[in-house]
Amino acid sequence: MRLLEHESKEILGRYSIPTPKGDVVGSAEEFNMDGPVMLKAQIPLGGRGKSGGVIEVSSAGEAKEKIEHLLSTPIRGYRARKILVEEVIAVSQEFFMAVTYDTVAKDPLVIFSKEGGVDIEDLSATQPEKLQKELFTVRARLPQYRAREIVSEAGISGRKLLGLGAILSKLVDIFLDYDATVVEINPLALTGDGKLVALDCHLEIDDDALYRHKDQAEKLSLHDRYEGGRKSTDFELRAAEIDNLDHRGVAGRMIEFDGLLGLIIGGGGASLTAFDAVRQHGGRPANYCEIGGNPSVLKVKELTKHILAKRGVEKIAIIMNVVSNTRVDLVARGVVKGILEAGRVPSDTVAVFRVPGAWEEEGFKILSKYGVPYCDRSVSIDEAAKMAVERTRC
Amino acid sequence: MSEFIKVEIDKSKCLGIEACGGCLKVCPVNIFDEKNDEPMIVQKEEDECTLCDLCIEACGPNAVTIHKLYEDY
Repeated sequence: MRLLEHESKEILGRYSIPTPKGDVVGSAEEFNMDGPVMLKAQIPLGGRGKSGGVIEVSSAGEAKEKIEHLLSTPIRGYRARKILVEEVIAVSQEFFMAVTYDTVAKDPLVIFSKEGGVDIEDLSATQPEKLQKELFTVRARLPQYRAREIVSEAGISGRKLLGLGAILSKLVDIFLDYDATVVEINPLALTGDGKLVALDCHLEIDDDALYRHKDQAEKLSLHDRYEGGRKSTDFELRAAEIDNLDHRGVAGRMIEFDGLLGLIIGGGGASLTAFDAVRQHGGRPANYCEIGGNPSVLKVKELTKHILAKRGVEKIAIIMNVVSNTRVDLVARGVVKGILEAGRVPSDTVAVFRVPGAWEEEGFKILSKYGVPYCDRSVSIDEAAKMAVERTRC
Repeated sequence: MSEFIKVEIDKSKCLGIEACGGCLKVCPVNIFDEKNDEPMIVQKEEDECTLCDLCIEACGPNAVTIHKLYEDY
């Protein structure tokens, strides 16, 4: 879940990280500030400045005019329902700081640069030596003395070092406390009078951790955050509920399509391969749905019933890569049980079951009993997808 | 009702929860529960059985048996 800028800044405030004084307005009538101000469209995208979503105005009259403009103008597929109005800050220097996960090192990573306000991906590509990067552990976090070392290695000393170190340490606390996948302040401004102020903030919370942050998750259902973007369908939301039935494995990351062939797919990226293969052979998927990590029989059963309850779905294909971390027999149990509880016949309903791997002999015994067409690893994902499409046409 | 797995406890052999309770302690998918100091089967969970056999190993008097209903075909 990506928070809007003003939502992210509210969290910065809880950790005493300074942000510009401002207000959030939903119409020009709500505007009530003096002097030059910044107007910032609240949409869940980066690069708003380049897209016309951030405007500096010098008078109240101009501000009201531009607020109406920002509220009525789509920006890259989104339309703001709220405008963040902030005081204009006199900036003498800009910094960058972020916390995210290094998926190769499998540890959280803090990044700092004394060149903020720029596109950090560009800086990383062209001048990587200007980025200070440091892995840390969830248990130890990033004490202020370690944060100051990182800032110091960027060539910063004195009062700035103390202030930046304190903010960097707090940013790590936010990252961990909010189960974030990324939190970034860019730019963090040094003002003319020597204060540090976060001018922009980008915070994303891990969707799988939203149950621990109900106050943030509730914002997803608010209708006045912004317009545009793709919203989850009821079919997808119900699948997510199934995935939350218990902690075991994944069975419910769903994207709905308008075809008639139900899909349960997965295996280290093979879900995309299987989905593409079905499409390439002329199949029209009713959905994309990953499973993996050894989901419970209950979750696979409920997922199967859910897919079969979709209008027009007569057949379902279960295609996975060779898997060691998902038991074939448990998937087979869930699929067969779901079909039976849906009042269907397993042998007629499964277009193909191609899940080779752990406990496959046991799984194939179950499938044999119910006459379900299955194949082992000697049949490729592509061939299995072709079979599924052909059998769906019958 | 279970479709694939049937777990049974031979009451004539079972020592009860207080004296043993091994099945209840080791089952990773909560197939066993307790009633009046005796272990009981949670039928709606039987199909979650992972066939790990921990309950069989934990049961001193060999009171637990697991049946694969799909092999009776």
